[in-house]
Amino acid sequence: MRKHPADLILPALVLAAFAVAPFLYSNELMLFNFIAFLALAQGLNIVYGFTGYLPFGYVGFYGAGAYGFALAVMHLHAPPLAAMAAGAGAALLLAVILLPLLRLSGAYFAIASLAAAQAVYEVVSNPALQHITKGPYGVSLSAVFAPRFSYYVALAILGVAFALVVWLRNSRFGLALQAIREDPVSAGMAGVSVVRGRTVAWLLSALVAGLVGAVFAWHISVFYPDTAFDLGVSIFSVVFVLFGGATTLTGPLLGVLILYGVYNAIGITVPQYFQFIYGALIVGLVLFLPNGLVSLLTARGLRVP
Amino acid sequence: MLIGAVVAGVVFGLYFALVGLGLNLVFGVMRIVNLAHGDVLMLGGYAAWWLLSAFGLHPLVAAVLVLGVFIAVGYPLYYLVVPQLQRARDSEMLSLILFFGLSQMIEAVTTIAVGTTERSLPGRMLGIGPFILLGARLPKPWVFSGVVSAVAVAGVYLYLYRTRLGMLTRAVMVSRDEALATGIDVHRVSALAFGIALGLAGVAGVFAPFMLGSITPAMGPDINLTAFAVIVVGTLGNPLGTVAGGVIYGVALMLMQTYYSSWANLLPNLLLIAVLLVRPEGLFGRKTRRA
Amino acid sequence: MSPEQPLLVVTDLVKRFGGFRALDGVSFHLAPGEVLGLVGPNGSGKTTCINVISGLYPPDGGGVAYLGRAIGGVPSHLLARRGINRTYQSPKPFLSLTVMENVLVAATYGNGGTPPDLMGLLASLELDTLAGRRAGELNSAQQKTLDLARALATGPRVLLVDELAAGLNPAELGRMADRLRALAAGGMALLVVEHLMGFIDRVTDRVVVMNAGREFFEGTLATAIKDPEVIRVFLGGAHG
Repeated sequence: MRKHPADLILPALVLAAFAVAPFLYSNELMLFNFIAFLALAQGLNIVYGFTGYLPFGYVGFYGAGAYGFALAVMHLHAPPLAAMAAGAGAALLLAVILLPLLRLSGAYFAIASLAAAQAVYEVVSNPALQHITKGPYGVSLSAVFAPRFSYYVALAILGVAFALVVWLRNSRFGLALQAIREDPVSAGMAGVSVVRGRTVAWLLSALVAGLVGAVFAWHISVFYPDTAFDLGVSIFSVVFVLFGGATTLTGPLLGVLILYGVYNAIGITVPQYFQFIYGALIVGLVLFLPNGLVSLLTARGLRVP
Repeated sequence: MLIGAVVAGVVFGLYFALVGLGLNLVFGVMRIVNLAHGDVLMLGGYAAWWLLSAFGLHPLVAAVLVLGVFIAVGYPLYYLVVPQLQRARDSEMLSLILFFGLSQMIEAVTTIAVGTTERSLPGRMLGIGPFILLGARLPKPWVFSGVVSAVAVAGVYLYLYRTRLGMLTRAVMVSRDEALATGIDVHRVSALAFGIALGLAGVAGVFAPFMLGSITPAMGPDINLTAFAVIVVGTLGNPLGTVAGGVIYGVALMLMQTYYSSWANLLPNLLLIAVLLVRPEGLFGRKTRRA
Repeated sequence: MSPEQPLLVVTDLVKRFGGFRALDGVSFHLAPGEVLGLVGPNGSGKTTCINVISGLYPPDGGGVAYLGRAIGGVPSHLLARRGINRTYQSPKPFLSLTVMENVLVAATYGNGGTPPDLMGLLASLELDTLAGRRAGELNSAQQKTLDLARALATGPRVLLVDELAAGLNPAELGRMADRLRALAAGGMALLVVEHLMGFIDRVTDRVVVMNAGREFFEGTLATAIKDPEVIRVFLGGAHG
């Protein structure tokens, strides 16, 4: 396939902007959250945009990553970067356990993945497991607290997420995934291994969320199961991707910058107003613009990065 | 203890059948997933709370009012969104997303209106003291809610099997295309089913404070998972299978709460995943669709 | 009929859906360079037969052998790479991908040998001017042709064609028939399911007539239409 340089310029600009941003703007936590959602949105884009599976329980991988990191630090006294690997491993393990869910289609998959995330939450937050997970009382990882370092690790993870999506958009494998999304029977007959394609996309998507969850745990260092498995993480990621438009780099990016921007402007003080706005946006999008903002351009035959 | 858990489970099961029934009716007739189902139920609960605190209305009266009002709202709402959805290529998936948006709007408006405080209704409204059933002592509000649920479910049965509109509704469930071809006014039948489904969710909401302890604006997603577990166990798209699903779910929940109480919250999630993976057609369904 | 060894041998193939036997012991064979018509009333099992041979469903009994090896139950994507491909009764292109991307996927993943010149392939099917368009923008006949292009991009030795002619105008029908004959002349084996008897007459060397999940006649179409059993099934059945 032809390579599209615009696919590289846009992520490079975003990464550069967030690399210098902490020196210009003091609210590092907000910047960190932007990075986290930018990466989560692209991670969700991998599985939703390229294979059509919409995991409402995407937060499960994020939570698994956060707790994988926390358990490695608390019980193994692992250094942060090794604990990051543990977080990614936990998310991948969960994704492997949940592979059978890919047999389900559409709505069933969405609901089942949500149930799976809730189940993991119930286990992690269970007081009966307090000696392992600290149950509902949360974890404190102050020994490894390193906000600036973890900020740049998060930025690197965003780079990985961008790279994955750029690769899928410009590779034949990404094309094969889209073929599976459009028609699995035809894709199989075109020689594409449907099971393998879906599995790879699912694992990559889980890996991104696990890494983001792990770096969140590191950056924030004190958190509760309610925050690590907050359904809002799933909801925001889904909304950002749908709003901007899946399968593109730009769509999820726009979704995060615009909607999370609005959220930070009004949502933190009065979250329910923000909730109402994005609820209404989703309803309007499904009815009038099912492929998101970018479809205003793609419908005119323009290629959007 | 075992008998008590089973009896309470059956009573709760009738209630859970009511919780799932509307969701299943919508899926059965329209093949769309109403992800705002839990939020509609929540609205029913707040309606009952408001009618009691402002006018002193008994929950039973509130249930009748809620049923009527929700049907009246659901009927036009159907025309507003569903036909448009069904024109799309992947209407099942799009419906999930659209009603998810609607659910967020409902939750937001409710939060703005009443705040995030948990609300409950005094249990004595539905009777004081225990009710002895097969040697098990159950709080009277549970039994009351279970009976109302059974009546509502029976009403749906009578509608589907003893009225002309109900018969047409079942025809649409079997095959929408065939029903269209034979000249059935599919939209009218579906709109009514949609209204009834919201009404049933609303009634379930009225009794939610008694059965689930309290209501909050954010309870929707949890209710959805429970409702999904119930209807998936009892066969998707088959409203009456929901009763069996509700009872199985209710008994399983009570047994879990009796013997492994700290893990009881895992039940709806694991049950849902297990049934979807092992028997996606439901425990009682014939293999009619590939999930 | 054909002097060559059969490429595909179907023996007593059975496929059940619940209690319904969609295929109830069908047998036939297909040689390189041959076009075999599969005809029969609606519901006689023609499409199910193609679905089983192409790996969409595993057989419940009997077998399919390709190049002398059993392939029953082998998944589609492996069959595609070994040289079996198909088209669909209702077209199934990748709607949001362009015409070129549709065939590119098949050429990349489904072709066991050297992928063909894709632009040339599209040109031979009059799709070259549409190469950059999304498949969803094509009309139904064009989408069916795209299905054929995608199948050909995998370089098949056996091609299963399911009602390709429906929806084509007479001029397009003639060109399509010539194309299928040309593919056979190049050594490909074709199994053609079709209701349009004129098209069957034009492209097939011989036909297998099916009813209720099994074959009951095999020979040329000219002899088939004189066979009393064939006449009875077609006049008694729903479709002529």
